[in-house]
Amino acid sequence: MNDGLVKILDGNTFVVSDERGDIEASLTDPTGLFSFDTRFLSRWVLTLNGQRLNPLSVDDLQYFETRFFLVPGTGTVYIDAKLSVIRRRAVGNGFHEELTILNHDEKPVNLTIRAEAGSDFADLFEVKDALEKKGRYSTRVDDGKLLLGYVRDTFERATVVSASEPARVTRNGLSFRVQIEPHGEWTTDLDVAAVLPGLPGARGRPKYGRGSRRARPNMSESLEQWVEEAPRVECDWDSLRTTYRRSLVDLAALRFSPPVARGQSLPAAGLPWFMTMFGRDSIFTSLQALPFTPALAATTLRALGEWQGSRVDDFRDEDPGRILHEMRYGEMAAFEERPHSPYYGCADATPLYVVLLDEYERWTGDTKLVRELEFEARAALAWIDDYADLLGNGYIWYQRRNEETGLENQCWKDSWDSISYRDGRLPGFPRATCELQGYAYDAKVRGARLARIAWKDPELADRLESEAAALKRRFNRDFWVEDGGYFALALDTEGNQVDCLASNNGHLLWSGIVDKSKAASVASHLLGRRLFSGWGVRTLAEGEGRYNPIGYHVGTVWPFDNSFIAWGLRRYGFKDEAAQIAAGILDAAEFFDGRLPEAFGGYERILTKYPVQYPTACSPQAWSTGAPLLLLRTMLGLEPQGDHLVVDPALPQTLGHLEVLDIPGRWGRMDAFGRGRVQVESRRAHARRR
Amino acid sequence: MTDVVDEFFAELADRGREPLLERVTGSLRFELSDGGKTDRWFVEVEKGDVSVSRKSLAADCTLRAERKLFAGMVRGEVNAMAAVLRGALSVEGDLEHLLLFQRIFPGPPGARGPRRGRGRQKGRR
Repeated sequence: MNDGLVKILDGNTFVVSDERGDIEASLTDPTGLFSFDTRFLSRWVLTLNGQRLNPLSVDDLQYFETRFFLVPGTGTVYIDAKLSVIRRRAVGNGFHEELTILNHDEKPVNLTIRAEAGSDFADLFEVKDALEKKGRYSTRVDDGKLLLGYVRDTFERATVVSASEPARVTRNGLSFRVQIEPHGEWTTDLDVAAVLPGLPGARGRPKYGRGSRRARPNMSESLEQWVEEAPRVECDWDSLRTTYRRSLVDLAALRFSPPVARGQSLPAAGLPWFMTMFGRDSIFTSLQALPFTPALAATTLRALGEWQGSRVDDFRDEDPGRILHEMRYGEMAAFEERPHSPYYGCADATPLYVVLLDEYERWTGDTKLVRELEFEARAALAWIDDYADLLGNGYIWYQRRNEETGLENQCWKDSWDSISYRDGRLPGFPRATCELQGYAYDAKVRGARLARIAWKDPELADRLESEAAALKRRFNRDFWVEDGGYFALALDTEGNQVDCLASNNGHLLWSGIVDKSKAASVASHLLGRRLFSGWGVRTLAEGEGRYNPIGYHVGTVWPFDNSFIAWGLRRYGFKDEAAQIAAGILDAAEFFDGRLPEAFGGYERILTKYPVQYPTACSPQAWSTGAPLLLLRTMLGLEPQGDHLVVDPALPQTLGHLEVLDIPGRWGRMDAFGRGRVQVESRRAHARRR
Repeated sequence: MTDVVDEFFAELADRGREPLLERVTGSLRFELSDGGKTDRWFVEVEKGDVSVSRKSLAADCTLRAERKLFAGMVRGEVNAMAAVLRGALSVEGDLEHLLLFQRIFPGPPGARGPRRGRGRQKGRR
């Protein structure tokens, strides 16, 4: 790992340590053992005869398991090391560590081995914001185990540390005095359990024991089964095969089984800090992965449906029918110092919920789930009109009611400066960003289809369709920037256009809200000099006041964004343009060994020759992981039609042939095949762009 | 003497059918303590049809809390899920049942809700 930190995880339990396997966290330092958004170990340091160890190598065995090879001493010369130390660690409800020490000498050796342990029980939010604790700590030794505890009112968290070999247990850790024979070895198991009383689904002992080598995910499927059941990809481009394999494995690691999902899993937002349900991220990733792993979508729909808002609560920005933004389980959420129990402040997840439900049914034919979630889907559709239209003019607007800890920008571009006029000014609130109107349109059109096929409510279907048509007319009139030939980023409260050119235009194509007559102009902007970098579409066009090629939402290229833009281009028949975007993003993936980052710089491709990664603490990130999957879909032109899967390939010529085999769906399993024909700018073909 | 908790369960029993609970089929047991005394309610839901009794039966989901805290939930002053995270409302069994059941609790008294502005609009409906 490039930051020198080793991260392993299992659901929302994860360990971040240095390359020795040690943890020495300060309040602001993001290392430790975390579970349910609480740090259960902030200190875990191994010494031999009072000496720290030196790392030789780290083997990432699986996403939940790693092995550290160490030698004593802090110098840089290891040649004389007569001892080796191996720490094999598997995370799950805490972690299990097998500590083995090998004596390579011809003489016996006497050792004092010490594992220091301590915990600050920090909330993830406290680690980010450096806040102080309000509860009481306790430390005691009981029955050969070290018990670290934290209590605040009824809130209790505890860490239990124990060993399989006889140890001297003190309030600071465990120590062992041993003699190891010549060429002998000594080993012990160290167990660290995270205890969360009262929270169902949180068990009190580590999941793995000695010799457990196979993944036992918190979900019904193992990694091997997961990869085995996904479609196979065959092609003549090694990098694409690597990227596909990487995406599948990362998606497996990102699976998260919330306490209510009965062992089923949905995609969490990112590793390791965002291993929780996010409405927007879980929905977008489920959409990207639908042709490959449709079960993720089903769990996302069920779990988000169960957590759907049911009342008006200003602190949580909750309304009836609203789909959650983010769920957290830590102390600050528990005591309502943060609103994440859950927090509802996002304006796109609710219409996207209906979009996912419909797309899921189109692929799988699972009308049973559509009927099961009828109440939630109707409530989501009602939210668009009853709670989101803050100005009463038929658009989705957002403005937080929780002004202290709520989110200002409730769209995917959620940084403070993401929504601006050409001259760089920021509009006031509420704001109506353009892509939200596209999602609302799509939700109504798809909701109408669901009302006909599953809810037997043609009246609702008629009403939704006429509302959608009216919204489309209104939108194409109010958001269209005449002198630019594209759609404005947003409207302000005065009804004026927030007139920047931004990648959001691609999402509008995806939603279908764009008048056919305007689509060609939009497409030419997306692939034009100001937005397209050669790798992909920038979040904000070059030349805008706030454009910055390394600005989070004001100039970088987001693989997730691009995958939906490619889908949008296909929807309006721009196959070659979609292939160009797929080629650029998949080329970029090659530079990251198949793991696309959240975002990379918006520099011209011919300038930098390689994609410059945006610095971020979160990798892999779910919707970046999903991007290559959606691009495979757009390149092959996969589209369910009735009980059939239509294949209409438009592959970049850099790809000789591409096969995706055993695509699951209402047709059973089907294969798709295509040959590269589209001329694109890429590593192997440096054609000049317009 | 009846209080807000008694009234809550009485009203729930009277309603018989609760659309917000259409997704629920199963049973919940409430154990609410007040000093040394614990009162029990047993709520059975069959696709939104609700029956309430004082039977002492095993349930899919057992909830334990102080009666005072539960009264706060019934009045919308206490958020049930935050109470679970705090350990003030303990859940044994299926959390999903509580998640669906808590939909019937009202929101905080005095919540403003979305403000409907009257912005000057170029756009017309």
